[in-house]
Amino acid sequence: MNEVLRIALRNVLRHKKRAFITAITMMVGIALFIGFDSMMAGLDRLSIENMINLSYSSLKIFTNAYVAERDVYPLDYGIPDPGKLAAELKNDPRVRSVTQRTEFLGELSDYHNSLPVRGIVVDPPLDAKVFTLADHISGSFFGQRGNPAAGVDPGSLAQATNPIVIGSGLAVKFNLKIGDTILLSAHTRYDAQNADEFTVIGLLSSLDPTLDDNSVFITYNTANDFLDLGNLVTETDVRLVHRVNLDETVHDATAVAAAVKSGNPTLDAQTFKELGRAYFDLMNSKRSITIALILVILLIAAVGIVNTVLMSVYSRIREVGVLKALGFRRGEVVWMFTFEGIFVGVIGSVMGAILGILIDLYLIFVGFPLDKMAGSSVVGGLSFWGTLYGTWNPGMIVFAVLFGLAVATVAAVIPARKAAKMTATAALRFV
Amino acid sequence: MEPILILENVKKVYQKAQRSVEALRGIDLTIDKGALLAIVGPSGSGKTTLLNIVGCLDQPTSGSVRYDGRELGGMTEKELAVYRKENISFIFQSYNLIPVLTVVENVELPMVIERRYTKKEMRDRAMQIISSVGLAEMSDRFPRELSGGQEQRVAIARALVKQPIVVLADEPTANLDSHTAEEIVELMERMNGTRETTFIFSTHDALVQRHAHRVVTIRDGLIQADDAITDERVHV
Repeated sequence: MNEVLRIALRNVLRHKKRAFITAITMMVGIALFIGFDSMMAGLDRLSIENMINLSYSSLKIFTNAYVAERDVYPLDYGIPDPGKLAAELKNDPRVRSVTQRTEFLGELSDYHNSLPVRGIVVDPPLDAKVFTLADHISGSFFGQRGNPAAGVDPGSLAQATNPIVIGSGLAVKFNLKIGDTILLSAHTRYDAQNADEFTVIGLLSSLDPTLDDNSVFITYNTANDFLDLGNLVTETDVRLVHRVNLDETVHDATAVAAAVKSGNPTLDAQTFKELGRAYFDLMNSKRSITIALILVILLIAAVGIVNTVLMSVYSRIREVGVLKALGFRRGEVVWMFTFEGIFVGVIGSVMGAILGILIDLYLIFVGFPLDKMAGSSVVGGLSFWGTLYGTWNPGMIVFAVLFGLAVATVAAVIPARKAAKMTATAALRFV
Repeated sequence: MEPILILENVKKVYQKAQRSVEALRGIDLTIDKGALLAIVGPSGSGKTTLLNIVGCLDQPTSGSVRYDGRELGGMTEKELAVYRKENISFIFQSYNLIPVLTVVENVELPMVIERRYTKKEMRDRAMQIISSVGLAEMSDRFPRELSGGQEQRVAIARALVKQPIVVLADEPTANLDSHTAEEIVELMERMNGTRETTFIFSTHDALVQRHAHRVVTIRDGLIQADDAITDERVHV
């Protein structure tokens, strides 16, 4: 076997250029695989972070009865003693912050046109610890962070009666700007119809169409009067301590949700993964397509290996005849050519892994500035902004290298078997 | 001398594009141990086919080939490979050295395949035979660094290193100039004399024929003439 290896290795070295070019194809395939996977996983992570930051938090807690009718945002099933629940949650080291919200169905009107909206009642200081809406607001998020709007005195916003923050899409539809008033009507907790004028103090531009185009935010102070709410809380939102790995984040959220449910049988806790099930399904199918595409690149590299080994085989058919005449067995001839393919595959895979890891490290530590490159954008209903960071996925790197090696081996075995099948006389007569 | 190879009524038919080509049409030949035999004849007469059958690289369509009393016809492919490995060596017209191996590695190759020598034994035996063909200084060179005559010397060294009973040489001097060819034939003659190795050549070369102890002429797949050349060892 040593001799077989020696001949194979020397043949690779003898045709350095040919081997190098094939290895480069392999390298590019594997590096693209690793880099692309890192970027796609990073993109997914970014989208998930956005969903957590803007809508889902890490997990939401409702009453079981509320979940059954959640589509219509009923004000009938408040969480009993939400303060106690929040205190319990904060004892868990995985929990970073907790807030409460109450959602209701409303209608926004400028006296000419009206649109149904989802109203979200928030506790601004606590809400800002769980969600990052304030970062995407021009004007004010009820005194929390926000980007000052041009020509608007922040002091005047704080004094506004019935302050409301609305999605920027709604603002466009009603031609509203900060400081304008708009009529909001809704059923109170006791099913009476109520309507009042609200002053727009902030415009939300999150790029999430479910928020920007049909959501309005008011505070519990306002809602207690407007909806006769009596501090009714329909959901508790929990922010967990940040984990680098998405799987760990999912694991933490699932564990906390399970703890809540087991300690409070009347409550239901849903993690961001459950709340964003549709997105995760889309993400998985998207990922399969991406992997399939990258596998095609590697298969193209495999064609390179087949070509290299075929060239090697056909230029050395007589040599096969000699080796067979000397007593080489068919299997040894197959191994000799297969080793050549494997050597090229190893060189290509290792170079590909090194280049892929370098690309990966760049993506992880420097990132890809999405907003500078393409501006903020919505892709397939998912919002992306900020810097896209790669994800460290050693399993995928190992997979890429092993796949590359497997492809190289299979690609080499096929022509090698063909060569080994020839009889010694046929091989010796081969011109 | 006792016979080492006995061929009786050996026929070989090739199927080529739906027609049969009779390469050998009934060869009867007895070859003694230590013979220096030349098989001559025009191109397509069946010389190489005969060598391939004797060397177990090819099987006859009918007839019997006996080596040292043992019938080769009934052997499996594996048994034939073992027979070939243990008893026969080949020398080719175009030398057919392995280009990525050095001279000494090429000569060691048959012993590597046999797997019964230590590394040191292989190196010692290879160097000894390389010296005897006059290439001791070139043992670390690659075939591309050698002349045609030197390459054929290496091929001879490779053929003789495992001390085979029979060496089959297919047109061994066809690619060499007359001076080098003379040297190569003399070398083989010397090896035949000192080691009692049986040499069977196929050749067009009058020089090779001149050194042979027996010349068998083949035409159209049949033996046309079988001449002993004044050597008492040769049996007709």
